[in-house]
Amino acid sequence: MSLRSGVATAVGKTSYWFLHTFMHGGSSLPGKLAARIDPEILKHLGQNYDVIVITGTNGKTLTTALTVRVLREKYDHVLTNPTGSNMEQGIVGTFLHAKRSRGQRPLAVLEVDEANVIKVTRYIKPIAFVFTNIFRDQMDRYGEIYTTYKKIIDGVRLAPEATIIANGDAQLFNSVDLPNPKIYYGFNHLPKGDMKAPTNTDGILCPKCQHVLHYHFMTYGNLGDYFCPNCGFHRPELNYAVTKLGAMTPTASTFDLDGESFKIGIGGLYNIYNALAAYAVGRFLNVEPAQIRQAFTSDERVFGRQEVVHVGDKDVTLILIKNPVGVNQVIDMILTEPEDFSFVGLLNANYADGIDTSWIWDGEFEKLGAAGTGENPKIKAFLTGGERYKDITFRLKVAGIDQPMIEPDLTKVTAKIKELPTKKVYVLATYTAVLQLRKQLASEGLIKEGMGA
Amino acid sequence: MANYHLTIAHLYGDLMNTYGDVGNILAMQYYAKKMDADVTTKLVSLGDPFDPNDFDIVFFGGGQDFEQTIVAKDLPTKAAAITDFIEDGGPTLAICGGFQLLGQYYIGADGERITGTKSMSHYTKNQHDHRFIGDTIIKDEQTGEVYHGFENHQGMTFLGKDEAPLGVVSEGAGNNGADGTEGVHYKNVYGTYFHGPILTRNGDIAKHLLVAALKRKYPDQDFSEQENMVIPATF
Repeated sequence: MSLRSGVATAVGKTSYWFLHTFMHGGSSLPGKLAARIDPEILKHLGQNYDVIVITGTNGKTLTTALTVRVLREKYDHVLTNPTGSNMEQGIVGTFLHAKRSRGQRPLAVLEVDEANVIKVTRYIKPIAFVFTNIFRDQMDRYGEIYTTYKKIIDGVRLAPEATIIANGDAQLFNSVDLPNPKIYYGFNHLPKGDMKAPTNTDGILCPKCQHVLHYHFMTYGNLGDYFCPNCGFHRPELNYAVTKLGAMTPTASTFDLDGESFKIGIGGLYNIYNALAAYAVGRFLNVEPAQIRQAFTSDERVFGRQEVVHVGDKDVTLILIKNPVGVNQVIDMILTEPEDFSFVGLLNANYADGIDTSWIWDGEFEKLGAAGTGENPKIKAFLTGGERYKDITFRLKVAGIDQPMIEPDLTKVTAKIKELPTKKVYVLATYTAVLQLRKQLASEGLIKEGMGA
Repeated sequence: MANYHLTIAHLYGDLMNTYGDVGNILAMQYYAKKMDADVTTKLVSLGDPFDPNDFDIVFFGGGQDFEQTIVAKDLPTKAAAITDFIEDGGPTLAICGGFQLLGQYYIGADGERITGTKSMSHYTKNQHDHRFIGDTIIKDEQTGEVYHGFENHQGMTFLGKDEAPLGVVSEGAGNNGADGTEGVHYKNVYGTYFHGPILTRNGDIAKHLLVAALKRKYPDQDFSEQENMVIPATF
């Protein structure tokens, strides 16, 4: 250990201890301090770990949590970063407050923001990368899907020996030749047809010859068994696949992986991709399918993103929405609800939400339809709110939902929720709207402060 | 059944569809319904023929840099027909990249000069490492209407002598951050950098497009009721 790394580590650890003990919680400060004293601190901190980097637009958090759960079935020491700490200083902080482990060489499963991959690989050579997907995000963040992917592979190029475990259904992950060993996961649950993506889909050009891709079948967004009718470019052979989809509700999904049945306590096709990614990492590190099945069902708090809060006699499910593909997956998921329910859409446009609300027009709210008439007639009522309630209200109006209840003030939304006619309520909200609503729920003693479980 | 029927050409809609631009089609459907018209949308993409006689409205949205370069390669096969449509008074809405591509040329992200359809006289340069991003407000000096949008563009567009802006900027950067213009209004073409989308926030522009399309398709009918329709504010 260099003197500088030693000092940096000591300062980082001390400030972590101080913050944790006296300020009731950590922050990015220890990581920031340590990185300032020694910019190469990660090299020192990460050298004793086998690191797995998980990145992509959607699904990073749950994939990371599930992967940790899966690996802990076999390995004693698996370090991970807390939700949201996916930038450089958060990762430094994660290593700083890790307990020293004895015996087995420990693993570190790190959720890493797309643009921060290179900040990690500059100092640490991971054993594997996991690529979940790349979709248009909050528009103004990284520009375009191609730019985002380039940021990721700029980082990957510094670690050419790490195995890439990628979503095989995403053509972008097959668009650049990289020397790394590769493992692909994806869906193989439908007979092969020949179709094009719906018009309003992003990223459907063949990366080799720039013709519009076709698909044997699609799952969601631009994901599926793609092929180019012009040049023959096609989806790579999958190493691990969903071979069958079973029953799906908003709170549970059953499916087969490579012919064996699995269950997760959360709805949404996109979450099956997350489970599949965790499965692929588990198999890569020789975790047995039976152990993985056990990991998926052992503790359902891992699916904490979809939190159920009891407001009066209502069961309110709180779901974060942040981009078009994400919101469409959430819409599809709540349409699997078997009981009567109400829909609440809360829209803010602060920096963390994305300051441009245009993306809600890429959301397929038409599928909801007016109460009782849409794809799921169990929807009985609509409520809109948030700082940009006008935008979300008009979005619903154009989707045929004429007279939603409206509550611009998020501190009054819980009162309005109590007026909804159904016991089940789904709240789709952008990041700062979730924060504000949670603050209100906490002030009413309905939840504890803080984000997520 | 509606009394009137309009067909929209969604130019390269599978490649040029960023930032909720599809909302413009949804808004046209929504307002058309109130005007006793229904709307069919047809995708016209790479390799597809474009016959101006088949369509009542043309919609050309914005795209990512990569997709835009691919579209530009296909565009010469359709350029003359698009120009015919525009010169004949065909109602057209062009956003961001679509707006740029109806002009003379634009300079791409890597400095390459990309030729447009040359239907109109504006041209677009590229600013280095900077984008105009944020809420914008403009005023149409002819009608007095105020329009709200969100801009997010690197290109700096300069209008030709025969082109009027869609509005004068009171908030935001507009076409180029310098001359106070935003967008273009030429014959029945509305070109703009506005997302939002423009028609969902500014129903009056949707009305202008639809009324122009109805009058052009049904010259013997009276559309004064549609013209006088009051569009409630949505933003």
